[in-house]
Amino acid sequence: MTNQNQELLLRVEHLCQYFKAGNFVTKAVDDVSFDIRKGEVFGLVGESGCGKTTTGRSIIGLYNITSGNIYFKGMRIAAGVQSYRDELKKTKDPARISQLKALIKAAQKEKKNCDREYAAKRRSELEAEYGPKIRAASGEEKAKLEAKYKDELRKAGKSRLITQIQMIFQDPIASLDPRMTVREIISEGLVIQGERDKKVIDEKVYEMLELVGLVKEHASRYPHEFSGGQRQRIGVARSIIMNPELIIADEPVSALDVSVQAQVINLLNELRERLGLTILFIAHDLSVVKYFSDRIGVMYYGKMVELADSDELFAHPLHPYTKSLLSAIPLPDPVYEKQRRRITYNPLAEHDYTVDQPSFREVRPGHFVQCNEAEYQKILAELSAK
Amino acid sequence: MENKLHVQDLRISFRTSNGKVQAVRGIDFDLARGETLAIVGESGSGKSVTSKAILGILAGNSIVESGEIIYNGQDLLKISEEDFHKIRGDRIAMIFQDPMSSLNPIVRIGRQLTEAMLLKGRIRQRESRRAFRTYLKSLRDMMVASATEDTQRSRAAASCGKFQQFEKKHTQLEAAYNAAHEAATEALDDIEVISFELEKNTVAKGAADRIKDIARCSRESLNDYVVAPDKYKAEVTQNASDLEENFKKKDYKAVLGKLYRLREILAEGAKRPKPNFFRMGYYLTFSNQPLPDMPPEKLNAFLLDYLEKDFMEDFLSDAKRAVAYSADQCYDRIRGTLQELEAAKPVFAAERLDRKQCMGTWKKLGAAVRETIDPLAVGRDSLVYTFSPGMKSELDKYFHGVKANVGILRKYEREKRKFDAIVAKGGKPDWEVADAAVTDLDLIKTNLSHIIDRLTEHYRELLDAADSRDYHAETIGAIDYLMQNASGIVDRVTPRIARHRAIRLMEEVGISEPHKRFRQYPFEFSGGMRQRIVIAIALAANPDILICDEPTTALDVTIQSQILELINKLKTERRLSVIFITHDLGVVANMADRVAVMYAGKIVEYGTSEDIFYHAAHPYTWALLSSMPDLDTNEKLAAIPGTPPNMIYPPKGDAFAPRNQYAMQIDFERQPPMFRISDTHHAATWLLHPDAPKVDPPKAVMERIARMNQRRETAND
Repeated sequence: MTNQNQELLLRVEHLCQYFKAGNFVTKAVDDVSFDIRKGEVFGLVGESGCGKTTTGRSIIGLYNITSGNIYFKGMRIAAGVQSYRDELKKTKDPARISQLKALIKAAQKEKKNCDREYAAKRRSELEAEYGPKIRAASGEEKAKLEAKYKDELRKAGKSRLITQIQMIFQDPIASLDPRMTVREIISEGLVIQGERDKKVIDEKVYEMLELVGLVKEHASRYPHEFSGGQRQRIGVARSIIMNPELIIADEPVSALDVSVQAQVINLLNELRERLGLTILFIAHDLSVVKYFSDRIGVMYYGKMVELADSDELFAHPLHPYTKSLLSAIPLPDPVYEKQRRRITYNPLAEHDYTVDQPSFREVRPGHFVQCNEAEYQKILAELSAK
Repeated sequence: MENKLHVQDLRISFRTSNGKVQAVRGIDFDLARGETLAIVGESGSGKSVTSKAILGILAGNSIVESGEIIYNGQDLLKISEEDFHKIRGDRIAMIFQDPMSSLNPIVRIGRQLTEAMLLKGRIRQRESRRAFRTYLKSLRDMMVASATEDTQRSRAAASCGKFQQFEKKHTQLEAAYNAAHEAATEALDDIEVISFELEKNTVAKGAADRIKDIARCSRESLNDYVVAPDKYKAEVTQNASDLEENFKKKDYKAVLGKLYRLREILAEGAKRPKPNFFRMGYYLTFSNQPLPDMPPEKLNAFLLDYLEKDFMEDFLSDAKRAVAYSADQCYDRIRGTLQELEAAKPVFAAERLDRKQCMGTWKKLGAAVRETIDPLAVGRDSLVYTFSPGMKSELDKYFHGVKANVGILRKYEREKRKFDAIVAKGGKPDWEVADAAVTDLDLIKTNLSHIIDRLTEHYRELLDAADSRDYHAETIGAIDYLMQNASGIVDRVTPRIARHRAIRLMEEVGISEPHKRFRQYPFEFSGGMRQRIVIAIALAANPDILICDEPTTALDVTIQSQILELINKLKTERRLSVIFITHDLGVVANMADRVAVMYAGKIVEYGTSEDIFYHAAHPYTWALLSSMPDLDTNEKLAAIPGTPPNMIYPPKGDAFAPRNQYAMQIDFERQPPMFRISDTHHAATWLLHPDAPKVDPPKAVMERIARMNQRRETAND
């Protein structure tokens, strides 16, 4: 556990995301909790439809979450108001009603407040940066600095905390607007934040292009002129231009060829070292996740079933679903492949949750498993026997 | 091993507005029966184009420059679209990458599954009938013509005439059996569903219809060889009518009792072995006696006895004589045609071909070559069959090229002049003049003489092998062929039977509740289930070659491994040959018996999967292996720098050289030939030349191989 002592960047608490279609409720994400420390890569794996992408999208605020809390840098950026509202409709108890109303109000206030707080923080940072400079300067230079300071302050007033989280999407073709040039695509975030100086924008865009291994000339081209790997690089450039602290990479390499896949992974690895990025890496290719992540969470049907260090998870998978998932990885080794037997996972046969409901428990420092009391005891006995 | 598919020197280009893109540049491979060949490469390496060429679904702007794809004695590049209808989907099937876009979203799954069965079923029946009749007719002609005595002649005519009658009898008997057997299995399936419902006391909407169906089907299943009427007739009819009455009265307990009894009877009937109706029909027509009363196993043996005693002696000797006679005549004609071919060769070697003369010679030669086809030969001779259409297509290309080349060249010169003028003025145009895409007339001429040479060579081989022919075996083969077609005639596919087969197919590919799923739309299925449906559709016509074009790229690990297991299982059960196209080496290791690595339209390395993964020799294979992380990779991944070359201007030397860290000077100048490493393992790289410096594979590959060996050793211990 190398990252044990570092500060928490993101905390997800009991996140639930339900989708309603008529009377039918799909529990896309159901009571998921985890946290991500600064500077680490957190991998999220599971089969398609298990809710890993929904988790990522809920964190970045593309969905209004049903219940639970998401904290980013200690501030609550999302709270599950919907569940309170649903309860409000049903309940008759006046005490509970006022309590719920207070909760909703607090959540809304906090949501607004976090942006305000962030803007205030930015302002005080700017103050600290420019104050001494302005005081020291004089004449024309002072006027110039003051103008710049004013401009920065204006932008700081517009800035929002959520821009510190950025996303890289799965499909590099579908996620880039075909009618925008690469410059427009990459600089869109800056423009929205209030950057007006063309020179600054160009400079920033060129810097980003270079960072992701493209050249200046590419800025005036359109996305269709690029190959798949290059397009994904544009997506990466777009996400890092806002200087984010957390990047949510939603299957960034699934749509790419093997050789290009290696290029993009190397790029992400490089950027992570250079910029100190924290990455939430969502993928279904386990060998890539193993290679890239420090910690891995395994999801199954909207629930987190196991969470551990990546080496620990691959060496000692404890939950039967993780075992089955690991047994399905194809490796480039024909002899091994011909002997490989896939373990099937049938939740109804594996678990008996009729009496005792499962919960997320820590079986070893840093290794969590979804299990009930009986299973917990069994796992502990197994671990101590080793 | 039996070769199913043979691809030789295949070259395919695409006409585009920027010039001619050379997608496939001369590839050769074989596919044996029951084997999986994996084709690996980056996107744009030409692997999908190859598979589409095999299936005859190339885009409209494609040009097949040269090559042949031989399947079952036919060159798939040259046969007509109508002939292709019999092969595409029927004998060679394909699974596409994206299951959602290969299914029709507004048609129910059941319809899509049965569509091909119904369409093909009718045609196949007609084909079988025609094949049976024409073959029998030519057999009879040959038998009569080869007879030396009058008695022989009359006997041959009589026995062949009786064959016609016997076909009718056999067809009736077998069709009745088939219908009864289908009815029994269908009733059994329905009983399974409804008894489950009744036991749970939850009667669904369609239950009344289902009960009616069961009653009708069980009545229909009465047949001498399924549910014996003399034993069960009374009971079955009684039970069936009781069933309907009790159900109307909602007396479910009584209904269940009747159902169980019916299930017993029907299951026993459905399990009985199928009698050989061909032999039975023969016995009935030739012996003029009623069938002896015995169980099917004994009956089969008895009929075989009879057949060998009576049928084999006379008929077989007559047929054998006919086969030998026909072959002899054929040899005579071959000798004549050989001379004609030799004489016609100069016509196609002239400096400029003369249209009238060429077409005349082609017609004459085509007719002569068609004459040499032995009407009694069961197998198909690819060279003979594809001679005439092959010549025709090449000639068409030539005469079209002669006309079109002038225009293309003129246009090119005009553009070039324009370009030169701009350059002369000191301008720097940001466009280039694409090379003129003229038809290579010399190549076509060599192709033409090649076709003739191949055929003459083939004829000579045939004449040399004439003495060692086994006419007895051929006669048996001929009878088998007749028998097969006779069964094909009865194989009727009605919508009900198609539905039934589709449901069984869905069970085979692992879809639960097929009855319910049958009526659903594609969007109601998950990704893995959809891919299963696509596989089921591909298998509906019982093909021998399955082409899988990245079937699991859109799926996640668990589903991927289920689908791969399914394809492997079906492959062993049905002895399918599989062409598996992918860029995921992990999947290749799981599936492939042999691997071909493709780059820029060429096969750069091929061998068994052990060869490729443990002893890779080409730098591109090394690069592919090292750019993919496995579970023990910690160091930086070795990505392949750069991008694949633009195939409008294919590189002069090795296409991979600019991206290759081991490239030598010669790699940029000359294309490497295929070097042989072992009997199964070949690679095209100059590194294998005896004069080349010795190079070790990259560290990542060496380490991985060492790890794999270690894992193997620990597994063996």
